[in-house]
Amino acid sequence: MSAITARPRLWPVRLRSTPTVAAVATVVLAVYLVVGLIGPLLIAYDPVATSVADRLLPIGAVRSDGTVALLGTDGAGRDMLGQLVYGARTSIIIGISVVAACLAVGLAFGTLAGYLAGWTDVAISRLIDILMAFPGILLAIVIAGLFDRSMLVVVLALSVAGWVGFARLARGLTLSLRERPYVDAARLIGVPTPVVIVRHVVPFVIGPVTALATTEFAGAVLSEAGLSFLGLGLPSATVSWGQVIANGKDYLDTAWWISALPGLALTGLVVSTGLLGDHLTQRLGTSR
Amino acid sequence: MRPVRLRRAVALAAATVSIVGLVACSTTTGGSSTGGAVAQELAVAVWTPIENLDPHGASGMDNGTQVAAKAIFSPLLRTKGKGQFEGVLAESWQANEDATEWTFTLREDVTFSDGTPVTSADVVASFERVLALKGAMAGNYAGHNAKESGADKVVITSKDPDPALLGKLITFYVTPAAHQDGDWSKPIGSGPFVVERFTPGQSLVLAPNPGHWRGKPALNRLELRSVQEMAARMTALKTGEVDMTWVVPDDQLAGLKGNTDLVVEKDSGSGVITMWMNGSEKGLKEAAVRRALWQAVDFATIIKSLFPETGSVANSVVTPNVLGYAPQTPVTYDPAAAKKALDDAGWDYDQKIQMQFSQPQFQQFADAVASDLAKIGVKAEPTQKEAAVFLQDLLALKWDLNIQQLGTAGFDAATNLGRLYTCAAKRTGYCNPDLDKLLNQAGSTSDNAKRQELYGQANKIIWDDAVGMYPMFVRNLYVRNKSVQGLTIPPDLTPDFSTVRIGNGTS
Repeated sequence: MSAITARPRLWPVRLRSTPTVAAVATVVLAVYLVVGLIGPLLIAYDPVATSVADRLLPIGAVRSDGTVALLGTDGAGRDMLGQLVYGARTSIIIGISVVAACLAVGLAFGTLAGYLAGWTDVAISRLIDILMAFPGILLAIVIAGLFDRSMLVVVLALSVAGWVGFARLARGLTLSLRERPYVDAARLIGVPTPVVIVRHVVPFVIGPVTALATTEFAGAVLSEAGLSFLGLGLPSATVSWGQVIANGKDYLDTAWWISALPGLALTGLVVSTGLLGDHLTQRLGTSR
Repeated sequence: MRPVRLRRAVALAAATVSIVGLVACSTTTGGSSTGGAVAQELAVAVWTPIENLDPHGASGMDNGTQVAAKAIFSPLLRTKGKGQFEGVLAESWQANEDATEWTFTLREDVTFSDGTPVTSADVVASFERVLALKGAMAGNYAGHNAKESGADKVVITSKDPDPALLGKLITFYVTPAAHQDGDWSKPIGSGPFVVERFTPGQSLVLAPNPGHWRGKPALNRLELRSVQEMAARMTALKTGEVDMTWVVPDDQLAGLKGNTDLVVEKDSGSGVITMWMNGSEKGLKEAAVRRALWQAVDFATIIKSLFPETGSVANSVVTPNVLGYAPQTPVTYDPAAAKKALDDAGWDYDQKIQMQFSQPQFQQFADAVASDLAKIGVKAEPTQKEAAVFLQDLLALKWDLNIQQLGTAGFDAATNLGRLYTCAAKRTGYCNPDLDKLLNQAGSTSDNAKRQELYGQANKIIWDDAVGMYPMFVRNLYVRNKSVQGLTIPPDLTPDFSTVRIGNGTS
């Protein structure tokens, strides 16, 4: 349980996570989801196509072909609105994939360590300690740097250290759950171990783990943007907010919108995910 | 409540006073225009970081090292433009009939900063060190040999005639024979400045050399600072933290325009954006295919939009100020013809061309090229590689299309065409015995008119066979504070600070 409350917050001030705040965060997240899922169907954007004659247009400027660049264009004349929308999809896909991978691995290792105890626990716990001692983003940079740029590599790089949080939480919860009378009872009447874990332990671990998943999602999105900013993330044919921010860093005083807009979008997504995560932690975490 | 507020107000006042004090101090030490004498101190942001001061080793040809070397050491001679040279350590030079033996007579009044005179032994030891270290420069001197002929004469011989030797020697710096294996963090030279402090990759602080044979330079302190991030470099220039920098991208000019203290100048340029297409790759073997790809890109528009100040459409493999330049028929944008040529050649539209480059300034350029190629269905993927990896892959021909800015050292096509385009060089994946013959002939003739003609023919073959795309001539922007005076804009990106002085900012 202490693992939950001791977790560092994304929000520096202890903002009381009222239902209103949580509701607003949920609405914002829903907007991101809708934009990420449906936006690409409505807005055509080709990351390979550039239009150098229309480069560095400010917000609302008219392009040479008469169309309006609602959010301006970047240094190669690509539409900023398109980049934001397609970047939202990329961020959401990466976030969900990383969290899914981490959750699956972390839950499996954590419950096994907690339930089986003994050498299994020692081995898994020490592995967790080792990974915890290593800065996650550094590990991700090394892995992403070793391979050619692709989405799979990014997901892998971010998952390698990301499952540790889930495993620690799941292990802690399982340690107390396995001593519960109903678990003992199940064991005594001869229910096989795998079934005990799946039916009597995992359902009670899922709640707090889900709360953790939301904040891990925010972390994954931020880390992906970081990797792409450094040029180690996604291939250039995939739009990523981190990459767009990096593209705009030489134009901060002449074309601020290139870096500022994806930066704001990223902030909105991460902050609302964090707020929702705090709310879920309070509800699902304290119920136990 | 009251005492607390009062205390806070006093603290605030104290803080304000100390800040004002600090600002005042910094303006006086920074050398403002008030008063008569202006502090002769100059801080510049170098284009590429200075990682090493050894002018003979692996990084000897890096721009950072070359800039530092020009301040600390002396070469035998320096260039004044196409085929024109001026002696520095050498007073005069003489080649034999077939240009296999060059005799250099050294100036007598030159000493190193430790007081010892510069002799032919130092020149020979430095030359041998270049050959022994097998660095970037050693490739210029295959089969060359230097020997003393008395204390003031050096004879450089080569197996094959080398009429372009003078051009190659402008990047060769002489260091004392006694200190060849010493510590290169504070080397001794005979240049206008001496090293005071060097932090690799960060900063090089120089002091004037009082015993310099052309007189002590005006600057009392020169700092060459490496500011890698472009935005930071521009900010430093605007705030006056540095007074000069060079190779400023076109896009940054807009941000500098409002600042009346800054002066923007252009060099004459010897760089050509060179985009070799790997002729040893299956799909790019045919000249018709390579030409078609070149035709498919609207370089005129790309150059006008991305490089309005520094770029111009190229019409040769080397720039006009190079011996061996010959204008060619420009390749015009014609996507329909390109598409047809590719269809005729049986181009595989599913394959992906990997476009490799290392410098970030090529990112948008590469994106724009890929975009134009995509319009006729050719898939191209711009790939930025880390400098060391880029170089390794470049030499191993592990690329389909490669983007570089190539200069021509010494303004002589021998160091560009003659070095890179032979079959033996294995640099472009292209091999043509006729071209080899021409380059060989040009490389072993001492008559400059004849060489010009031969390199002109070589130029035509390279251009017509589209060994690469040669879209753009590059000129470089120099931005300086107007108080920096006496600077001659160099053609080769290595400014000479010995003539610079700090004025009061009125001109």
